[in-house]
Amino acid sequence: MSVKYVPVQWNRSKWVYDGIMLAAVVAFLYLFLYVTPELLSHENPINPQVHNARAFGACAFLMLTVILWIGPLARIDRRFLPLLYNRRHFGVMTTFVAITHAGYILNWYFAFSSSDKYAALLFANTSYGQLAGFPFEAFGIFALVCLVILAVTSHDFWLKFLTPPVWKALHALIYFAYVAVVAHVALGIMQDQQNHTFTVIFIGGALSVAGLHAWAAWHEDRNGDRLGTEEGGWVDICDARKIEEGRAHIKVLPNGERVAVFRHEGKLSAISNACAHQNGPLGEGRIIDCLVTCPWHGFQYDVRTGRSPAPFTEMVPTYTLRLSGNRVQVQVEANPPGTPVDPVEVPA
Amino acid sequence: MSRKETPFFVGYLPLPRGLGGFVALVSVALVALFAAAALLIGGTQDAPQDAAFRFDYGRQTVTGVVELTPYPLLRVTEGNDLIPPGKTLMMTAAGKSGVDMRAMGLEGKLAQVSGVVLERGTIDMIQLRGGRRGIQAAEGEAPAMQTEPLGRWRLAGEICDGKCLYGAMRPGRGLAHKACANLCIIGDVPPVFVTTQPVEGQDFMLITGPDGTRLPKEAYDFVGQFVTLEGDLERRGDVLVLRLDTPTIALVDG
Repeated sequence: MSVKYVPVQWNRSKWVYDGIMLAAVVAFLYLFLYVTPELLSHENPINPQVHNARAFGACAFLMLTVILWIGPLARIDRRFLPLLYNRRHFGVMTTFVAITHAGYILNWYFAFSSSDKYAALLFANTSYGQLAGFPFEAFGIFALVCLVILAVTSHDFWLKFLTPPVWKALHALIYFAYVAVVAHVALGIMQDQQNHTFTVIFIGGALSVAGLHAWAAWHEDRNGDRLGTEEGGWVDICDARKIEEGRAHIKVLPNGERVAVFRHEGKLSAISNACAHQNGPLGEGRIIDCLVTCPWHGFQYDVRTGRSPAPFTEMVPTYTLRLSGNRVQVQVEANPPGTPVDPVEVPA
Repeated sequence: MSRKETPFFVGYLPLPRGLGGFVALVSVALVALFAAAALLIGGTQDAPQDAAFRFDYGRQTVTGVVELTPYPLLRVTEGNDLIPPGKTLMMTAAGKSGVDMRAMGLEGKLAQVSGVVLERGTIDMIQLRGGRRGIQAAEGEAPAMQTEPLGRWRLAGEICDGKCLYGAMRPGRGLAHKACANLCIIGDVPPVFVTTQPVEGQDFMLITGPDGTRLPKEAYDFVGQFVTLEGDLERRGDVLVLRLDTPTIALVDG
């Protein structure tokens, strides 16, 4: 949380996160660039430019694959949430690795001619009407443009400027980028492989992304939030006594919004489940120091008002709630963000 | 571990007790995954073609008769230890450029050429130095050179650019290299056809369009792919030249 924009709001977790991710990337590149040529010992070695391009391209693919693992893993097992916390830094890192790959390709395969290399990239192969020999570079260009857009707009300034729903929709481009990368590899380098080790790793990686997302969707379907039943403008949530202290119970409202009913100091309050930062699931968070804390990035809100503590200015909608016997119910229509609502005592 | 039991992580607070071991394990696994992937992917790359620039042979200077197919060939008449008389060399310039314009006025004449050779088992291509130092008219009468017609052939193989096939790039053929090969061919680097079976003792031949024209643009879509095609074959010294009958070119299924 921040009251002003800074390039990176560093903390220990971010340093450690970036350090570990950087260590993985450096290990990959060092081993690929400097150790595998010795292992290969080809009589006429692969050109260094091609070797380097392959190293950075394969690394970018692996990084993208890991990035797309993190979301479903965190939904299936919350212990993976620390990987989600600073995922944007890993995404920006991926963009730089991908740009380096593109640079090697551009300055090798598309250089040394009388044509401009950027123009050559577009006109050298125009066999768009066929699958074999399709200009797979086009998929790579698309993926790179997506990654650059994602990296440039990764800062919280853009998140606030575009609003979380638009920003999240924009950042769904990562899936299109990944599909494009899969097509780029499948129609390119994979067509020329005699040794199929890379093919197995590549297909395994792509299938793991699809499989993890399917698993996470199934997990959500089994364990996810349920639709509340409405009666007269009020939605039944649960038995008020079953909500643990400092925790929430989440219900889906008929209008599709999610509400999180928290218990704090023996009283119930209801706020929107969507964090104002990245629409993280507030109801899966905890109350820390009297404040609801988002499990994704730690944004905090007063559960009674939906307001972040001063000097922060984030706000989420609140809900009016009542008890019907031991059942807690909330009004379907949310209050404007930041509207104070009196908490309701949990029945004894 | 259920959601209720999971330690609650907040990025700007110390790592909660009970999560440190898991995070450490995942971190180590992640670095190990990247390291293993690098060794597996990088260490199992296919060997590129056994071909290369031979800068170690030094600059070669030979004399011969220039023939335009239209891609220029040099039929060597005065060679050296490496390039004996009777040898035929395809010629190219630095980068992705041919020497068509420089050779045009020398067709059928003696010329001295100088440059670095590319070797792929045999030496069949030379990259000329720039300007007149690379190719210039030589004194003397050009002897008549024989062209032996070998009839019409139907062949299977791959169209490549000759320079990359000859080791200017490794790897220098295949679909991943298609755009580069197209760019070379557009720049008048001699295109070659690599056959699946030896033809007249050779596994490659210079390929041109019909009637002494350049490789037609229609063929560009097929570069780097396994194709069948037909054309008239001829021998010029120890280099074969195939005159492509463009409509016969077709992708081989599978």
